[in-house]
Amino acid sequence: MDTAVALNPRAADVPESREPLLEVSDFSLRRGQAVVLDGVNLALQPGETLGLIGESGAGKSTLAMALIGLLRAPEVQLEGSLCFRGTELTRLREADYRRLRGNKIGLIFQDATAALNPCFTVGEQIAEPLKRHLGLSKWDRRERAAELMHSVGIPEPRLRLDAYPHELSGGMQQRVMIAIALACNPELLLADEPTSALDVTIQAQIMELILDRVRELNSSAIFVLHDLALGAQVCDRIAVMYAGQIVEEGPSERVLASPLHPYTRGLKSCVVELGSRRLEPIPGQIPPLDAMPAGCRFAPRCPKAKAICGEQRPQAEIRDGRQVACWFID
Amino acid sequence: MFQAASAKLAQTLLVLLIVSAASFAFLKLAPGDPVSIMLGSDYSKASYDQLTHELGLDQPVVFQYGNWLADFVRGDWGTSYITNQDIFELAVMQALPVTLTLAALSLLIALVIGIPTGVLAALYRNSWVDVLATTLAIGGNAFPSFYLGILLIWIFGVDLGWFPALGFVAPWEDFWQGLWHLTLPAITLGAWYVGLIARITRSSLLEVLGQPYIQAARARGEPGWRVVWVHGMRNVLMPLVTVIGLQLGGMLRGAVMTEVVFALPGLGMMVTTAVLNREYIVVQAGIMLTGLLFVAVNLAVDQTYQFLDPRLRRR
Repeated sequence: MDTAVALNPRAADVPESREPLLEVSDFSLRRGQAVVLDGVNLALQPGETLGLIGESGAGKSTLAMALIGLLRAPEVQLEGSLCFRGTELTRLREADYRRLRGNKIGLIFQDATAALNPCFTVGEQIAEPLKRHLGLSKWDRRERAAELMHSVGIPEPRLRLDAYPHELSGGMQQRVMIAIALACNPELLLADEPTSALDVTIQAQIMELILDRVRELNSSAIFVLHDLALGAQVCDRIAVMYAGQIVEEGPSERVLASPLHPYTRGLKSCVVELGSRRLEPIPGQIPPLDAMPAGCRFAPRCPKAKAICGEQRPQAEIRDGRQVACWFID
Repeated sequence: MFQAASAKLAQTLLVLLIVSAASFAFLKLAPGDPVSIMLGSDYSKASYDQLTHELGLDQPVVFQYGNWLADFVRGDWGTSYITNQDIFELAVMQALPVTLTLAALSLLIALVIGIPTGVLAALYRNSWVDVLATTLAIGGNAFPSFYLGILLIWIFGVDLGWFPALGFVAPWEDFWQGLWHLTLPAITLGAWYVGLIARITRSSLLEVLGQPYIQAARARGEPGWRVVWVHGMRNVLMPLVTVIGLQLGGMLRGAVMTEVVFALPGLGMMVTTAVLNREYIVVQAGIMLTGLLFVAVNLAVDQTYQFLDPRLRRR
């Protein structure tokens, strides 16, 4: 697991001109007056993995929820475009969106214990999308659910089909969650902090399992993470989010090796490196949604901020194969 | 598992013991001397002592209680002074089924109206639907059952003549006639429950719909009605059953009033008549039966929990 390229050999072959699986352009999400996501631009090629990195409150999970259509009007107001396989998601009818959810787009939740219904067996919950989207018969659903459980490394799947979530450990519950999300071989998998509710010893296993399955199914994946180093290790591309905006986005190894945005640099120096005692937290915190600065949203915390940063919002520039939104890219 | 079950059993037995002691004490504490009442106004000391001995009233109270309990368990509950009717026959075979039928029908009506009302109020919370549902729910609670009962008798029994105003036909003898006679009483008694069930459904469903597993169900592509009625309501059943079980006392109280208003020969009517006639031995049977009913419902609610909540199931 040295570099993303080694993890995902196809990433190198993907030609730039290919039609992206997912294209997010100028996408904004407002909740009343509060601008939760502001002008997000992203493109995801088929088979590519992307890491959304940032502090809590940066809007990573919101973006994931908006992509799978669980955050829509009238609850929130959407602007811009979410284009998935040529379909404009923001204008999709709910009935059509439902056919994508759990089918073409899968979602793994952060806390499997809370995301599994305590009153239904895990077999029933895995079988649900198989019935809904694939129309499998009762017998076939059971067979397929057992296969899926086996594929995510649950021992004795046939015995566990009739288990209730509380009878499984946290790691096993997350495996069930993965089985549900991958039940219909989605083209896009969204994983919202898939390991942060788990024991450290199991985190690596689960991460590797998701990556293995995604690669096997030839799916694309978006990982929501707060750890830059982990993101760079497991994903082809990294998008660093701050206060609802993408501040830097590009190939993992380049972003990690030479971050251009001051916030990315701050995130990088936040990581405790083994053998070094260096730990530089970024001072301050994300401003509340109703008190966002007019200019660069990171300016109040930025060590390099000048007058212009507080007045005008920097537009994303393409630099060194990545997009960066900063007035002072050096 | 065995430990929990035996603890439950011990608890149940203790409650039954307290209920029976209270029923027994009720008759002991009642004013008037049963022996002199039975002998009439004119009797000798010898016949008084003889009857006292025959009735076992010269024995210590604990023995009297033991004998009484043994008789009770055997179904020998004594005879009514007034109608000369066997009290076990009167209470268990005649009055109890009436009250149970009324209660069951009322609960059914309350569930059929209360649950959808609560769900609508939760789904459209803070809209006019919610305001209307909540108002109706509180209104149903605020209306005393004797008022609602009399109102229903006037409108639907007397003026419109759609339903019989009074009287009872056993549904197990003539189902449709019985149902027809029980409709107004069941609406009267159920109205109070509708509000309760609607409010519990609303608040529990609102809480459940905020849970991640509801989002997860939507993320699997489940349609909205299934998310609410299957994934959501399955989890609302537990608090609902708790409240229904806890409010059984309210239901029995309401049943007394309803039975009197509609002249239904149920437990409430039986006890009311007995109180008015100072026939304490029948009142005692009523107390005992009510206590047993409570214990039975509590056990049933416990069993229902284990059925409803897999986390409580013991393997």
